[in-house]
Amino acid sequence: MTDPTGGALDGIRLLDLSTQPGQYAGRLLADLGADTIKVEPPGGDAMRRVGPFEGDVAGPETSLTWRYFNANKRSVTCNLDLPAGQRLLRELARDADVVIESYGPSYMESRGVGFEALRAVRPDLVYVSISGFGREGPHAGWQATELIAQAASGVLTLSGDPAGAPQMLGANQACITASLSAAQGALLAVFHKERTGEGQLVEVSMQEALAIAQETAMQQWDFQRTSRERQGEIPTLPGLGAYATRDGYVYSMVGGPAGASWSELVDWLIEEGAGGELVAGHEAAFRALNMATAVQALRNPVKAAEFGALMPIARETLAAFFATRASREIYEEGQRRRLLIGMVSTPKELMESPQLRARDWRLPVGGDGAAADLPGPPYRLSATPATVRRAAPAIGEHNREVWLEEVGIAPEEFAALVAEGAI
Amino acid sequence: MTSQGGGKRPLDGIRVADFSWFGAGPIVGRTLADFGAEVVRVESEYKIDALRLTQPVPPDRPATYNTGGFFNNFNAGKHSFLLNMNAEGARAVAYRLVERSDVFLTNHTPRVVAKWGVDYPSLRAVNPRIIAAYQPMQGSTGPHKDFIGFGAVLTPVSGLSHLSGDPARPPIGVGTNYPDFTLNPGHTVTAILAALRHRERTGAGQMVELAQIESVAATLGPALLDYTVNGRVATRTGNRSPGMAPHGVFRCRDQARSHPAAVGQDPDVRERWIAIAVRDDDDWAALCAAAPGSAFAGDARFATFAGRKRHEDALESAIAAWTAGEEAAALQERLQGAGVPAHLVQDAEDMMDHDAHLRARGYYRRLEHPETGLSAYDGPVVGLGETPGDLRWAAPLFGEHTYEVATRILGYSDDEVSELVAAGVLA
Repeated sequence: MTDPTGGALDGIRLLDLSTQPGQYAGRLLADLGADTIKVEPPGGDAMRRVGPFEGDVAGPETSLTWRYFNANKRSVTCNLDLPAGQRLLRELARDADVVIESYGPSYMESRGVGFEALRAVRPDLVYVSISGFGREGPHAGWQATELIAQAASGVLTLSGDPAGAPQMLGANQACITASLSAAQGALLAVFHKERTGEGQLVEVSMQEALAIAQETAMQQWDFQRTSRERQGEIPTLPGLGAYATRDGYVYSMVGGPAGASWSELVDWLIEEGAGGELVAGHEAAFRALNMATAVQALRNPVKAAEFGALMPIARETLAAFFATRASREIYEEGQRRRLLIGMVSTPKELMESPQLRARDWRLPVGGDGAAADLPGPPYRLSATPATVRRAAPAIGEHNREVWLEEVGIAPEEFAALVAEGAI
Repeated sequence: MTSQGGGKRPLDGIRVADFSWFGAGPIVGRTLADFGAEVVRVESEYKIDALRLTQPVPPDRPATYNTGGFFNNFNAGKHSFLLNMNAEGARAVAYRLVERSDVFLTNHTPRVVAKWGVDYPSLRAVNPRIIAAYQPMQGSTGPHKDFIGFGAVLTPVSGLSHLSGDPARPPIGVGTNYPDFTLNPGHTVTAILAALRHRERTGAGQMVELAQIESVAATLGPALLDYTVNGRVATRTGNRSPGMAPHGVFRCRDQARSHPAAVGQDPDVRERWIAIAVRDDDDWAALCAAAPGSAFAGDARFATFAGRKRHEDALESAIAAWTAGEEAAALQERLQGAGVPAHLVQDAEDMMDHDAHLRARGYYRRLEHPETGLSAYDGPVVGLGETPGDLRWAAPLFGEHTYEVATRILGYSDDEVSELVAAGVLA
């Protein structure tokens, strides 16, 4: 066995047979201390072929997607299309606490390594199965990808500008969310198993995992029988939405449900000599601007016309003010004034954020070699922090260590399995 | 209110002192309750959870603290306990609850945490075994720790907006307060469960801090490494995917609305869209076979992945011209029948009334509630075969369990409860 990890999940062994939808779950549990073994097909996991790549040179060890989501895992190869490979996985499962797979509802079963087969060798096994639509139901066999899961779960229809197509949430959020459901399910089942000795099958549907992110759309239909549709930019009031800056964008919610009022924004404009026509002609009206006063004005036809004429002035004044300043300056000064403004951070701006720098948000990669730091963890546990004990592995890097030393396969049999293509 | 389902649950015997509000915190408590924890949701008239005042509500009843579906969905299966933390004497009640709990949870700001005296050192002094989980937006340290925001501001600040949507348009976000619903609660539950497991083995409690900005940023790893390793600043790519083509969302034949439009919506037209993701040449061949007579089937430019990428604009136009004449729901059946990843871009009406799969699985739970009637709730985030978990009851009425919690859990006598009510503590 491997050395104690010191993490909260020390002593748990996880076999990670997942690809895109589950790889983040394995990474989370590995960082929390589980001994995590990635079981790859002999040519390597499909995620090794997904970019971006270091230096833009594609290769199984240069994929940054692979490197991020598979850090802290060991790698063995095992060809599940061969009976010998299937037998190897059953051997490996004897010492496993958790299996996570995302091959689809019947793949593992058809190769004799499904839940029932592995439970036969490890009765208290926790087996987590991730698929687009779950293991049962009329769409259980349907093909799913990130985009398909977003479409099926009701989040895609809410995103984007009404004048164009619905727009995907970035950075594979359906896969990330499926992984979070898998991590929660695995840990609930581990908790139960360690109390009772009982293992079980855990099922993740990518569609269902993401469905709660419809926000209020579900209840709006349930109660009111109207559909919530994508709004795009909120067109109602100036001060709400994305504004271009000198070097990017900010996202402003001034006049929205929290933070300082338009009056504070007017003060800021005046202090900077940027009030222009807005302040000269209509200062009082803009100081009072918020959702409630807007609705009130719209109730009275005469006031509504006046109000409508003011809106472009405010929008243009604000746009001009923001356009001459840097995003970070607007964000930090706006927040200092308690105005609800965020900057639209790029990856660069995020990694250079004074906040994340002050919090030292990064994960040093332990072990051999001089691997670069990884971006930091999603949470901080005071007694058992997340750690990265090794960089993402090369294909089959731990074949000898695991198959020979831990599973106990004889050297001559190991050589035969390699020759046969099972390892 | 009736208990749904029965049997063993993994978190039986675990008690949660849930001092959270809005979405990111309460969903944590909801998941723990689904899987057996006894969750005491601490609320007050003097710092009301704004979701109790928020749409949607049933149109045919007076709106009260109890009729908001947004609130109710995140708080089903909990006990509602009124405690005004700004009242003198409230802190002792809170500490008594923490003393008798396994998990403490809050997403209030660091300023409120300090003001209420529920910081980790204080709670640990009360109960060394407590697992105390905090969800400050920016963390409890650093120059931005007191910055204000909620999901719609966190999405841009954390980097997700920049990576979402149409590259030709400003980064308008994803249309919701997205991180509140899966990323922040899902990460927090994961950390709490790991900490509970550690406590089972060692007896030691600990603090969990989830800075919401870090919780979102951690999901953007490849784009962040592209910057730190390659110096490249990745940007949003809309509905395209670097490894697949075609990969997009295409408009199908419009439908008439089955129900009246909401304010601002087209009264007659219900747009219908389909998502299609062609992973490889086999998928492409299957798509072409399912679209005889289309302009793209048989077009030699599109025969290989490289060709489809090179001519992606033309490819997408040809597919859109074909889908425009198709009925979306029938098309998804046909394409999935041919093995092509495709799905209707569903709205809530599709999911709740027409998605035969979700209905067969019983994903949406319908629970009786005294003020909203039979109402829908999202099911649990994951399915467990032996210890399935489910909503135990509908959302609690505001303060419904105040007396029960004060007496059964906290052990106050009826006289003490009266005094606490009279003093404005249980309020």
